[in-house]
Amino acid sequence: MSDPASGPSAAAVPAAGMVDRVRIQLTVNETAYSLSVEPRRTLLDALRDDLRLTGAKPGCNMGNCGACTILLDGEAVYSCLQLAVECVGHTITTIEGLAQGDQLDPVQRAFIEHDALQCGFCTPGQVLALKSLLARNPHPTDEEIERGMAGNLCRCGAYPKILAAARALASRPD
Amino acid sequence: MSIRIVTTHTEFEGRVYEQRVVMEGEEPPVWGPDAELAVVGTPQPRVDAQERVTGAADYAYDMQPAGLLTAAGLRSPHAHARITRLDTTAAEAAPGVRAVFSRNNAADFQNPNRDATIFADELLYQGALVAVVVAESREQANDALRLIHVEYEPLPFVVDPDQALGTGPLAATTKASNILEEYPKTYERGDVDAGMASADEIVEVHVETPACLHNSMETHGATAEWDGRMLTIWSSTQDLFGVRRQVATALGLRQNQVRAVKQYMGGGFGSKFGAHDSGLLAAYAAHRLGAPVKYMLTREEENLCAGYRSPSIQTFRAGAKRDGTLTALDQRSVASIGQGAWMPPVAMATKEMYLCPNVRAVDVAVQTNLGPFASFRAPGAVEGTVGLEITLDRLANALGMDPLAFRRQNYAAEHQDLNRPYARKLVLEAYEQGAEAIGWGTRNLDVRRYPNGKGGMLRRGVGMASQMWGGDGGPPAQASAKLLPDGTAVILTGTQDIGTGTRTVLAQIAADELSLPLDHIRVELGDTEFGLYSPPSGGSVTLSSVGPAVRMAATEARKQALEVIAHLTEAPTDAIELRGGTAYNRETGKELGTLASFLEQLDGHEISGKGMRGPNAENMTVRTFGAQFAEVEVDIGTGQVRVVRVVACHDCGRIVNPLTFSSQIEGGIIQGLGMALMEQRIVDERFGTVMNANLEDYTVPTIRDIPQIDIILLDSPVVQANTIGTLGAGEPPIIPAPAAIANAVAHAISRPVSALPLTPARILDLLREPAQ
Amino acid sequence: MKTFAHAAAATAREAVAFLAAEPPGTTATRLIAGGTDLLTLMKAGILEPRRLVDIKTARDELRYLRFDPDGTLRIGALTTLAELERHPEVGAKLPILVQAVRDAATPQLRTVATVAGNLLQRPRCWYFRGEYNCWLKGGERCFAREGQNQHHAIFQPAPCVAVHPSDLAPVLLAVDARVLMQGPAGSRVIPLADLFAPPTDDRRSETRLAPDEVITELHVPPQPEDARGVYLKAMDRGAWAFALVAAAAQLALRDGKVEQARLVLGSVANIPWRATAAEDALRGQAVTPELAAQAAERALADATPLAHNAYKVPLARELLRRAILQAAAG
Repeated sequence: MSDPASGPSAAAVPAAGMVDRVRIQLTVNETAYSLSVEPRRTLLDALRDDLRLTGAKPGCNMGNCGACTILLDGEAVYSCLQLAVECVGHTITTIEGLAQGDQLDPVQRAFIEHDALQCGFCTPGQVLALKSLLARNPHPTDEEIERGMAGNLCRCGAYPKILAAARALASRPD
Repeated sequence: MSIRIVTTHTEFEGRVYEQRVVMEGEEPPVWGPDAELAVVGTPQPRVDAQERVTGAADYAYDMQPAGLLTAAGLRSPHAHARITRLDTTAAEAAPGVRAVFSRNNAADFQNPNRDATIFADELLYQGALVAVVVAESREQANDALRLIHVEYEPLPFVVDPDQALGTGPLAATTKASNILEEYPKTYERGDVDAGMASADEIVEVHVETPACLHNSMETHGATAEWDGRMLTIWSSTQDLFGVRRQVATALGLRQNQVRAVKQYMGGGFGSKFGAHDSGLLAAYAAHRLGAPVKYMLTREEENLCAGYRSPSIQTFRAGAKRDGTLTALDQRSVASIGQGAWMPPVAMATKEMYLCPNVRAVDVAVQTNLGPFASFRAPGAVEGTVGLEITLDRLANALGMDPLAFRRQNYAAEHQDLNRPYARKLVLEAYEQGAEAIGWGTRNLDVRRYPNGKGGMLRRGVGMASQMWGGDGGPPAQASAKLLPDGTAVILTGTQDIGTGTRTVLAQIAADELSLPLDHIRVELGDTEFGLYSPPSGGSVTLSSVGPAVRMAATEARKQALEVIAHLTEAPTDAIELRGGTAYNRETGKELGTLASFLEQLDGHEISGKGMRGPNAENMTVRTFGAQFAEVEVDIGTGQVRVVRVVACHDCGRIVNPLTFSSQIEGGIIQGLGMALMEQRIVDERFGTVMNANLEDYTVPTIRDIPQIDIILLDSPVVQANTIGTLGAGEPPIIPAPAAIANAVAHAISRPVSALPLTPARILDLLREPAQ
Repeated sequence: MKTFAHAAAATAREAVAFLAAEPPGTTATRLIAGGTDLLTLMKAGILEPRRLVDIKTARDELRYLRFDPDGTLRIGALTTLAELERHPEVGAKLPILVQAVRDAATPQLRTVATVAGNLLQRPRCWYFRGEYNCWLKGGERCFAREGQNQHHAIFQPAPCVAVHPSDLAPVLLAVDARVLMQGPAGSRVIPLADLFAPPTDDRRSETRLAPDEVITELHVPPQPEDARGVYLKAMDRGAWAFALVAAAAQLALRDGKVEQARLVLGSVANIPWRATAAEDALRGQAVTPELAAQAAERALADATPLAHNAYKVPLARELLRRAILQAAAG
């Protein structure tokens, strides 16, 4: 920015509608992507429309459903409430980056085994929310699982099975 | 093979249709209770689960053909208005905008689902379509929406059903009445007045159920592409053939010029039959512009214009003898259907569930200035079951009878309406097993009703409700089965997996019929290009319609394979047995070779079997029946209700996959819990506008709201129903859930419950009334 | 969302400079921290800033959580709710904060939402958030007052009857937090209670933060030795909902009697609502079930519910009664 001592001038505020795109670099699933976005582009739209990583789903675009959950520096966040320009320098993991090659992540395997999904639209977000919870707390109690997974709606009602998958992972030996 | 035309009857969401179908060949004999099945009946993870957990599954929302344009809709902010001026020129000139469609340039674009144009001058509800912008990016499309200049002349509106029935304004100026044509409709059997006169106890009950918004996680919409010859539409739909038909009609194309595809969808719950306006618009724009176009609704649009469970107002009078014999049931149901055009079967259970010689059901469908309602998982039946089961509990209380004993006493063995038997009605079994599991016998013991905790302010209640629904499906449904040179099989059908696990259960059926391991079966579905018609996936009919067709196709393929093996090995055809992909001579026990080894010798020719769903049995009624029992805890200080446990016992015939079956049951109960405790669309009647068309203010259950769910399986084939003996399981579990929870809450707080949802606000209001 | 330019501030001073550079009375520039409220306001078209200034880049200066030797807790403005929730020492010394935060929103939102942003969040009123030109947005009338007001205020000190939705604000008030703000003329510290004020015709917001000021820190003074606090929240579902009503009680007892009591209700007014009459009722007394009920009664004595929110009165009374009793029981 300009010299902080003098402060930015009011003229620096652009006129409405006259905003340039910004070229940014995002690190997604350990790959660096260069893209040109408007500042208002959300991380969700950048992932889906620019990078064609459509695993994160738009359910509400207002942070009310959890389908767009991704990992930002390892923590689950809603990508519809992140500006892409503010994610520069952060590590982004989407559902596409969770498996190691052909080797599914244990959370993915547990979801399959326990049928912790129905239509599957919320599933990428659910999987990443659980991944993030287990990274912080490998052996959560039922209450901790419920609190940790409370930010992901599932309209099909796969919750009992999600709980079962999470319990199975929580009781694994270290 | 003999070809013949068969007339049969199928039921879909309470309505019976006569179907004429072409039958070719014979269906195999039904898999009876003793059928030896290795894969059917076993819990199997979904065959397409990996795609869903890795993000590889492509939903309509995810399709991105090269050069894709994005559409966004401008919708009416008024409950009822006329457009007096519409100027789109500034929007058309905006950066990235390729077209703006409105009445100005698309006035003749007809909606084939209703007798109306897509772009109307008279806008009948908040969310009615005004214009659609198509632009290169979603931001550009949204920016351009603001540049459309519209002038509205607000018109008198009505959103309250009582006002719409009374002296309120007309919801549409072109209509003479707010009451849907042909309504009120009255069903009557016996003599209700005489039945009431002979009763020792009569209760009058008023019940109101809320408008529930589907809120499928994926909104309605589609991506469409026109290549000059063929229009392909990737639609989030429960009804691919409906999409194909509607798009072809709307665009003036032949059906075979439209290909509808859906591999995955983010929920529908009844709201996604057909293409919806959004899909028609994506197709229309793609056709006009010659570029692929995606139109997915925003969450707000979804909740304003893509349907809801119609709210109901029900009044009951019910009479019984002192000994508990029902003498009369009299129900009046008002369904507030917004701009919908039919009435869901609210009185279905009243007519059939319980033995009663004198029944009257008056149905009234009233239109208002709210968006069209849509089927929502057992439409009508859920609402009607709430009304009926609350009424039965009240009547039992009035008689001093145990509510379950009262229901047992009035068990109806036959279909009273049509005077014919049910194929099977295991509701008494469901009562018995459910009651034992929930501890019905001790439900009134004080020690359990008043547990310690929160200052002694928790009240426990147990309630139950019965369930009935169709789910037997029927023809037409087609499938084909191919055996490939490597010894694996491909099943083709035109059906769609709406998230229930259809692909998996069809693979299980084929695996058993072909004696192949499950991983040797690939099921291709979700595409009209196979030309294999399947019904809409709704009404719990998918598996019971398509499953038998798949089985027959596999049977035909198997027969051909046996002929080939017989020819190549000179073993007699009926001595050949397939086991796990290998052929044996049953008589000698000798291994003849793997299926693959024979198929390879066909030099690339693939064996292909054809299957179709046969006609339904006549002279009997096939239904799913069941019961649920709910245990709740009510905090009488804060009004908060917690559903502790639900026991569910549903007869859906043979369970093909206990794992995905239980997921269906759990999901239905959780949606029912939402309706019972928290879900309701809120409308400001001053403006006729919806306050909570979003997922913040419209609350659906989270993982912290779910009870322990215990499922009791009644797993045996209904051999009269179809060749796999299976009935649908999608809708049965939601039907009794809100009613059972409402009855449990009434039990807990010793006060009658008459409206859902049972929010803390409503419970605290109820608690101001004296206990009964 | 309308288009906007984007900049970043590396320090609070830079952020203030961005804000102060604007002509008085304009809000073309907005700071963005967690963005969980700001972006939803922008998506809904309620705020249309022409420039966003990212203040997360001032994390070295503003993102910290520590106890001073005297026991004062210092919370940097950019501290996230998740950091507060997971801080073991906060959990041990000020459990009421953790109780409030862990029932707020969801893990995903708590991971990015900041403490300052939580205090400054705007009401959830559906008229305010929807396409209604309501009084709070500069219009003539409050549509909720005679409309769908089931989630609205039972105390109405302003023309607007929306409620303050924060879970954190009531508990920070209950522990008598102070807020440090920086403006062009320097810094000032005020009691958190003074940050909140019912909106007025001239100031249609719930706080007294000046347009060119930035919150930089919250202090929580050391609490008396045997202080204990309880936060209770009633929701329409088990999680992920704003409070229907919430109650925070922070009590300090000596010899079995209440020496100090701070009671605050959430979601009952435009601002977190201090229940001073109830505090007075407790002071110097031994807490009995009867006294707790009496105090709670007094807290709600002046409530004036609207057409659809009468339930909030018994609900608030009950939550406060329980919070007092549970806090007293330790």
